[in-house]
Amino acid sequence: MPDTILKPEELQPAAELVRKTLEQLDRILLGRKELHRLVLIGVLSRGHVLLEGLPGLGKTALVKTIGQILKLDFKRIQFTPDLMPGDVLGTHILQETSSGKRELLFQPGPVFTNILLADEINRASPKTQSAMLETMQENCVTLLGTTRALPQPFFVLASQNPIELEGTYPLPEAQLDRFLFRVMFENVDADVLDQIISERRRGELPAPTWQMERDQLEMLFQTMGKIYLPHPVSRYIARLVSATHPGGAEATEPVNKYVSYGASPRAAIAIAEAARGNALVAGRPSVGFEDVKIVAQPVLNHRLILNYQARFDRMTPSKLVTELLGQLDETGLNLPKDVELAKA
Amino acid sequence: MKTSHANALQSFAHDLQWLLALRLWVQMATVWFFVWGVAILALRIRGTQDSFWLTLGLFGIVPLVLVSAIRVRRLRPEFSKIRANYDRINACGGVIMSEEAADMEAWLAQLPEAVVPKFRWHSGRAMLLLSVSAIFAATTLLLPERLARFSAHRSLEIGQIVRQLQAEVKTLAQEKIVNDKKADDLQRQLSQLQKDAFGYDPDKTWEALDHIKQSDSDAAKEAAEEALTKTESLTKAETLAKAMQQAADAGMNEMTASQAAQDLASMLSAAKLEDGILNSQIPPELLAGLNGLNKEQMEKLLQALELNKNSLGMTVSNLANLKMIDPAMLAKLLNAGQGYNPGALADYLSTCTNGGDDLVLSWLDHPGKGGPGGGGPAADMTWNDGASEKDLKFQEHALPPSSHLDDAQLVGVSKAAPELSGNDVSAQHGALDHAVASGGSAHAQIILPEQRQAVQNFFKREN
Repeated sequence: MPDTILKPEELQPAAELVRKTLEQLDRILLGRKELHRLVLIGVLSRGHVLLEGLPGLGKTALVKTIGQILKLDFKRIQFTPDLMPGDVLGTHILQETSSGKRELLFQPGPVFTNILLADEINRASPKTQSAMLETMQENCVTLLGTTRALPQPFFVLASQNPIELEGTYPLPEAQLDRFLFRVMFENVDADVLDQIISERRRGELPAPTWQMERDQLEMLFQTMGKIYLPHPVSRYIARLVSATHPGGAEATEPVNKYVSYGASPRAAIAIAEAARGNALVAGRPSVGFEDVKIVAQPVLNHRLILNYQARFDRMTPSKLVTELLGQLDETGLNLPKDVELAKA
Repeated sequence: MKTSHANALQSFAHDLQWLLALRLWVQMATVWFFVWGVAILALRIRGTQDSFWLTLGLFGIVPLVLVSAIRVRRLRPEFSKIRANYDRINACGGVIMSEEAADMEAWLAQLPEAVVPKFRWHSGRAMLLLSVSAIFAATTLLLPERLARFSAHRSLEIGQIVRQLQAEVKTLAQEKIVNDKKADDLQRQLSQLQKDAFGYDPDKTWEALDHIKQSDSDAAKEAAEEALTKTESLTKAETLAKAMQQAADAGMNEMTASQAAQDLASMLSAAKLEDGILNSQIPPELLAGLNGLNKEQMEKLLQALELNKNSLGMTVSNLANLKMIDPAMLAKLLNAGQGYNPGALADYLSTCTNGGDDLVLSWLDHPGKGGPGGGGPAADMTWNDGASEKDLKFQEHALPPSSHLDDAQLVGVSKAAPELSGNDVSAQHGALDHAVASGGSAHAQIILPEQRQAVQNFFKREN
C-alpha cells in the first residue's frame, strides 16, 4: 500500500513531459501513434523492446529519434553470424603504459551506452546472443571476473526481420523473456505514405524541436514508481498470467489445447510495470484494467510457447492472448452467466 | 461527505444484491411450484379433495423470499470486487479502486460523470420455467375431480378376452359339454369381471380370467378325447357293418354272419356310446336285433353310425375353431379309422367257413396286415421277390505301388538339423524368392539402385 498517491499537481509535470515526447515522436515519425506510445511505455518501464517488422518500416529511425529526444547516448550493432561476444561487450587489450609497464586494459564494447539498437539480432550466433543476457537483466557486464555496470538508463531496442529466416538463429526463450515488449511494425496506409513522400525527401528525418533533459527523465522514472497498482488489478494480472499455463484454474480451452509453457513471473512483473507506464502516459495516478489490457498483448505474445498442434491449426500467441483477455473476468466477480453488466 | 461516485457505487452494490436475490428466488420458486404441483397431484389421486388445504401450499413461496435474501446476503461478492467492476464500467482508470488505499478526492473531479451501471438479466429461460411450473401447479389444483381420479379408476381393458371366453362357454353349452347352469354361472362371472376390472389392481382380474379359461380348456380337451375314442369305435363298427353287408351279398355262411353280428353287438356295447359327455344314440330296435338285421335295417344302422360320427366330428371341429383344443387332436379325429378296408374284411368274412372265431376283432385291431390271400389278418407282410445284388457291388481296383518310394534309398538318420553343402539351394517362389537358404537371409533388405553407391562407400570405409 502506498504512503501517498500522487496528487494531480504532482503528476501533471510528468504527464506534460510524456505528452511532449509523444508529440515529438508523432511529428518526426508519421502514422505510428500507438507504436510510439508502446515504445515510450517500454522506456518508462525500463524494459527492452523487440521490434519486429519488414525492412524499411522505420525501426532504426524510431530508435534514433528516441535517443535524440531523450538526449541519451545511442549505439547501434548490426548483428551478423560472425559477430563475437567481445564485439558486443568489449575486450581486454594488452597496452604499454607511460611507465613502460604492460597491462591488460579494458576496451568497452558498444553495449556501454544508454540506448543500444541491436539490428537484426537473430542473425548473430547463439553464443553472441547469450552475451546479451546479463546486460539485459542485470544491466552490467562481467569479463575476466570483473563486473562493470552499464550506464543508466540502459535500453536494448532490438530488431528482427521475420521474412529472411535462412542463416538466422531464432532467439532462445530465455532471451525472448528478457524483452518487455515484442512490438510488430505494420505497414502504414496510403495517406501516411503520401505524407512521407511529400515531406521526407530522401528519407531525412526532421530534427526534434524539443529534447528532454536528464533530470526530467529521472523525474519521469520517479513518478512511474509512484503510480498506484490497486489490488484488484494486480490480482487480475496474476490471474491472467496464471491462465496462460495449460491446466491452470482459469486456463481456457484453447490454452489447454495449444500452449506447452505459459508466461513466467517475469511476464507478470512486466505487465504490471507496463500498465503503470500506460497509466502515466494517460495522465492517471493509478492503474486500471484497461491499462493491463493494452499492454498484455505485446508483453505476452513472445512468451507463450505453443505446441505442434498450434502450428497445424495456425494458432498464434496473439490470437490466444486476445481470446484470453476476452474470456477472463477482470474483477473475478463471477456473475451468473445470464447476468450481464453494462454501462447505462 | 459522500460524493456522487460513492452514491452511485452504493446503488450499484444494492442493485446487484437485489438482482441476485430475485434471480435466486425465481429459481427456488420454480422448484417449489413443481414440487407443490406434484404433491397436489399425488394427494388428489389418493383422494384428498379439500382445495383449501391444498391452496395453502401457495404461501410456501413467501418464506422463499426470506431464504433467498439471506442466502444472497451470505454469498454476496466482496465489496472490493463490486468497486472494481464499477471502476471498470465507468472507465475510472483505477481511481475508484484506489479509494480503498488513499483519499482520491482530488482526482474525483477529473473522472467521468458518475453513472450507476445497469445489470441486464437474460431472464427469458428462468421466467419460462417459472411460468411452466406455476401453470403446472395451478392445473393440478384446478383439475376436475373425475380427471384427478381418472387414472385410479380407469377400467382394465379385458373386453376382447371376455368376449372370447363367453364364446367358448356358449359353444361348450351348445355342445352339451357343460350343463346350462354352469354355463350361466360362467357367463355371469365373466360379465361381473368385466364390470369390476380396474387398472388399479389388475392381478385378481387376470387370475380369474385365467381360471375360467383353464376350466374351459380342460372341459374341451376331455370332450375331444372322448370324441376321439367314440369315433374310433364307431368307425370300427361301421367297417364291420359294411363288411357284413357286402359279405352277405357274397354268400357268407350263416355261422360266420352270426358270429360277426355278435362281434358288432359287443363292439357297440363296449363303446358305451350313450355314456359320457358326448352321448350318441343308436336306435334301440336296431341294437336289439343285430343278429337278424335285414338289408334295409343294416342300411339304417350304417346311417345311424355315420350320423353319430359326423356329430362328434362337428363338435370337435367347433372346439378347434375356438382354439380350445390342439389342432392335432382334430386331425387325429378326422384320420380315425382311415386304415380300415371293409371290402377286404368282407372278402375275409365270405371266405371264412369255420364260423365263429375271434379273428374279426383281431383283424380290426391290426389294420393293414396280411389279408385273406396272405395267411389271415394276423400274418406278417411278405415280399415274394428277393432283391438282386447284380450290378450293385463296387469293383475292386488295386492301386499301383509308389514308384518314387521304390527309387528312394535310406542313407542315414539325422539326429540334428541338416547341414547344407556348398551348393546352396534357392527357394523357388514367394516372398523369399532369390533369398539364400542360410542364416538370416530372410531379413535381407533389397538395395535400390540409388542406394548402392552409398552402401558400397560404407563398406569401403569400414575396410
